[in-house]
Amino acid sequence: MQATIATILAKAQTEFSALQTRAEFETAKARYVGPNGEFTALLKQMGSVPKDQRPALGKLINEAKVRLQSLLDAALRTIADREIAAQLGPAVDPTLPSPDAGPGTYHPLTLVREEMCRILRRAGFSVADGPEVDTEFYNFDALNTPPEHPARDVQDTFFFPENARFGNVSKRVPEERYLLRSHTSTVQIRTMLKRPPPIRIVSPGRVFRRDTTDATHSANFHQLECLYVDRDVTVRDLKALLDYIFAALLGPDTKTRFRPHYFGYTEPSFEVDLSARHLPKVNKEWIEIGGCGMVDPSVFEAVGYDPEVWTGYAFGMGLERLAMLLYGIDDIRYFYQNDLRFLRQFA
Amino acid sequence: MKISLNWLKQYVALEAPVDEIAHALVFLGFEVEGIVRTGAPKLDHVVVGEILTRVRHPNADKLSVCTVDVGPAGGVKTIVCGAPNCDAGRRVPVALPGAVLPGDFEIKQSKIRGQLSDGMMCAPDELGLGTEHAGLLLLDGAPALGTPINEVLPSGDVVFDLEITPNRPDALSHIGIARELAAWFRQDLRFPEIKFNDLVTETARPDILSEVRVESPADCPLYIAILVTGVKVGPSPAWMQERLKAVGLRPINNLVDVGNYAMLELGQPVHVFDAKKIGGRRIVVRRAADREKLVTLDGKERTLSSRMLVIADADKPMVVAGIMGGEKAEVDSTTTDVVLEAAYFRPQSVRWTSKRLGLASDSSYRFERGVDPHSTFEAARRTIDLILETAGGHVVGPLYHVGGDRPWKREITLTSDYVRRRLGFPLSDDEMRNALKLLNLAIVGESRKETGPEWTVDIPSYRSDLDRPIDLVEEVLRLYGSDRVPPAPCIGPALLDGDDDPVVVFNRKVSAYLVGQNYHEVVNYTLRSANELKVWVSRAAAQELALANPFVEDQSHLRPTLLLGMLESLKLNQSRGVEACRLFETGRVFVERDGVAHECAAVAFLNCHNEKDRAWLPRAAADFYTAKRHVEILAGHAGVELGKSALSPVSGAYPDWQEDHSASAGEMTDGWAARFGLVNLAMLRAAGIEGQVWAGIFVILPEKLPADSIRRRYQPISLFPAALRDIALVVDASRHADDVRRTLAQVAQAAAAGAFTVEQIKVFDVYKGQGLPEGKKSLAFSLAFRSAVRTLTDEEVNAAFTKIKQDIAADGSISVRV
Repeated sequence: MQATIATILAKAQTEFSALQTRAEFETAKARYVGPNGEFTALLKQMGSVPKDQRPALGKLINEAKVRLQSLLDAALRTIADREIAAQLGPAVDPTLPSPDAGPGTYHPLTLVREEMCRILRRAGFSVADGPEVDTEFYNFDALNTPPEHPARDVQDTFFFPENARFGNVSKRVPEERYLLRSHTSTVQIRTMLKRPPPIRIVSPGRVFRRDTTDATHSANFHQLECLYVDRDVTVRDLKALLDYIFAALLGPDTKTRFRPHYFGYTEPSFEVDLSARHLPKVNKEWIEIGGCGMVDPSVFEAVGYDPEVWTGYAFGMGLERLAMLLYGIDDIRYFYQNDLRFLRQFA
Repeated sequence: MKISLNWLKQYVALEAPVDEIAHALVFLGFEVEGIVRTGAPKLDHVVVGEILTRVRHPNADKLSVCTVDVGPAGGVKTIVCGAPNCDAGRRVPVALPGAVLPGDFEIKQSKIRGQLSDGMMCAPDELGLGTEHAGLLLLDGAPALGTPINEVLPSGDVVFDLEITPNRPDALSHIGIARELAAWFRQDLRFPEIKFNDLVTETARPDILSEVRVESPADCPLYIAILVTGVKVGPSPAWMQERLKAVGLRPINNLVDVGNYAMLELGQPVHVFDAKKIGGRRIVVRRAADREKLVTLDGKERTLSSRMLVIADADKPMVVAGIMGGEKAEVDSTTTDVVLEAAYFRPQSVRWTSKRLGLASDSSYRFERGVDPHSTFEAARRTIDLILETAGGHVVGPLYHVGGDRPWKREITLTSDYVRRRLGFPLSDDEMRNALKLLNLAIVGESRKETGPEWTVDIPSYRSDLDRPIDLVEEVLRLYGSDRVPPAPCIGPALLDGDDDPVVVFNRKVSAYLVGQNYHEVVNYTLRSANELKVWVSRAAAQELALANPFVEDQSHLRPTLLLGMLESLKLNQSRGVEACRLFETGRVFVERDGVAHECAAVAFLNCHNEKDRAWLPRAAADFYTAKRHVEILAGHAGVELGKSALSPVSGAYPDWQEDHSASAGEMTDGWAARFGLVNLAMLRAAGIEGQVWAGIFVILPEKLPADSIRRRYQPISLFPAALRDIALVVDASRHADDVRRTLAQVAQAAAAGAFTVEQIKVFDVYKGQGLPEGKKSLAFSLAFRSAVRTLTDEEVNAAFTKIKQDIAADGSISVRV
């Protein structure tokens, strides 16, 4: 009997170590410890063993049983390990690049626009939007630009044919013409006509000028304008806003200054100069960044606000120009070519 | 506009350095676009010398050693010179030791390669005369040796190039700018003394000029004509020529130059006719006849129209009024009698004519912006002085003065409190009074109000841009210094007006999604070419979206889709060898429907699969369903559930999409449209783009975007297990899966009969081929049944499932695959 046990164990050891799959394992296991297994048969013989030999033999069989179980466990572990190894595949080379698409990117004009909107939001401005196709009233008349004014020249503004129809852009008077807005001030007019004061909006958007495309000019470009209308708004408040905006954008040592200028829709009007450290490719102290002023009373009259009660300021700037200053870009056309080597730099 | 500093100094004492004057100009509101220094600056110890001898420097091939006579005071100097033209006998500028040349270059006695040099002979650039450095400046006319060089060279001047804003026509002259600088520097303005006092001693000469008639007083409210006889044409005096040259004008002769000088001095354009060339001895200010012709001074024949104003003689136009003279009536070397014209022409008339003829001049520029008609006579008198001074002659009566009888009077009432409330910082009453006074805005009345003084301010005629109290606030601030607005904290009401505009919010959301999907945002022009629209969109779009006045041919139409620009971006990257496969753009597009255009918010993306783009580990390419999922999500951000609307395959109406591989939804019926799938391959190839492009667009009318996000209601979820069954249905191969799914859903719903819900019907396999009849396909669906209140039994689920299998086949178009 003892010899038989030893033979069975030896055979089991050899057989189990050769097992490859769970199915083979189950068959092998059944061959030994199943109802008809060799080892089970051995156990069945225990009844015929003389009483005095039983304790010794029982111990022997128990030991064999434990041994057999550990052989089975080991075989199963090997199989499980092999299965996992098969699922894993070969080891990775961590230095190989991921073949997946690289990170998506926002366009630099979007980044600059959103940053300005965030800064202005802190000052209480919400973002307003309006149509790119607009009419003479919103682009000129309401902004104190009378019919004979040189700014209305067809040389500078894109117009649509007299019979053009735009289903969702409202005209003020039937005979006025559609045009591509030459500034985002149209949004100020539309907003003021829609809502009573106080008003505090920023309107970023695309504008159009009939201009030769070169390193600094583009047939369409983007502006960002702020409008604040309330009681007792002053020139000093306007200066305070601009100081805040540019300090928030470029750091606390940034300065702004006003130069007198002329715009039909503001009085007084200024051009805004900016002085900031660390702007790339800028080698003069003051650089022009935008225009601003106190809303002209005639604009309030055009939108039905009482100019005796309401005062306000407006500020506008070109987003391309700002982006060019911030990033040190020297040609406006790069924004519209969309070379990925350019776009990826701003992520 | 060019302004000469020397010229300005005739009217105002300007001792300040140039950069301070430039600063003053800028803060008065006149942007300085350039500063050019002309002539020689003041140079001490630089004199005229003559080269006596020249020998080669013993130690340097390219240098010469010269002896130079610098006049009785200096004697003969030895000077080493590197210029090629230092030949004996030449007279040249010599900088003696002690001279300081431009650039702080001090001249000292020195040794050059062992040879003593006692000064320097100068090239033009070394004296601050331009950039010429090829050789020494050779002095013509044998000036006396030892003469200080400034007496020989043209004197130095500084010319400012100023941008004058359209509201300030009064500043389009040297007097105008001098007036402003006088105010800034608190100096007096010295207006040129006018000698002509309208007294005419000569008897009338109707044989030269018998009548001046204005037939279009609306276009010409004031016309002054003065006859001067016995003038002598010749060059104008040197001082006048120098002034004109400084500001970029070429001197012609004394009479022409006087006209230009007067205009640049006073801002009033004037015209000088040769009186003998005035046919019929009559000047008639009238509208031109249609198709009437005139050869203008630039030698071009102009065809006039009846809206254009001309100055004519008895039978032909001589001048396009206020714009340019004709060749025929011009002053020439034989002229002896002249007529001076000073007039006021309506700005709109001049502008219209100038634009229509494509003809502009210094004169038209000023008339368009508006000259001061109340100063016209004064300007005429000043011009007469200049004519008599430079060309001699006698004024002959009568002085013709037609129109211009409306006197000027304007007063503005202003309180100091109003100024302070607009500015927002304290400015004393005296500071305000002073600013107004300096600008010749006389306070002609003052009364006390509760809040401070109230002033009546008299506005001079040349400042017709000042009309309201707010205009005077600007004047006060201008003189106070707009760069002196004190800083202040940025404080405003705490609450926002409202949310950001829905279009802005939508753009942010879709951009964030697509960036998260590894797309790159691009920005393209709104304007596209007609041909592109015809090819890619439709003829109707090309018609309805056209501009009336495009600037360049390939930017003549509004973009109807973002796809065109994005494909161009893709192509640019491909052509530059830059791998670019995922692009997106947001922005406005213009959708034409039934002859009406609509401005829409839009988002579009493209995903290009290019066989040429290799990877060490290949990834599955994008396909139709990639595009579909993106569009569903983008539409979702606009509050549109794409799954709830009918999807149809694209038809020929959208040539940019590949038939059988693209779909379309919305069609603007509810204000939105979506299209997605494969971009037409043949068109891509024709456009020179490689690879397959899967793309999607979503457009929506801005007003259809939801202003507020909808507050959702919670739906309870069942905690009981689902019962799952699979079913395969055989249908015509052309039938859409969603059609079958909807039929199945109806049948299943009916079978469940309200006892439980059909939670999900999901297609998990599509099969065509062996085992199925030709022209058929099998769609396998998994169905999930669930109850909210109990665990379903096999019996009830099986009963329902059996019923589904029977009912689904009822109409014969669907059979259950077994």
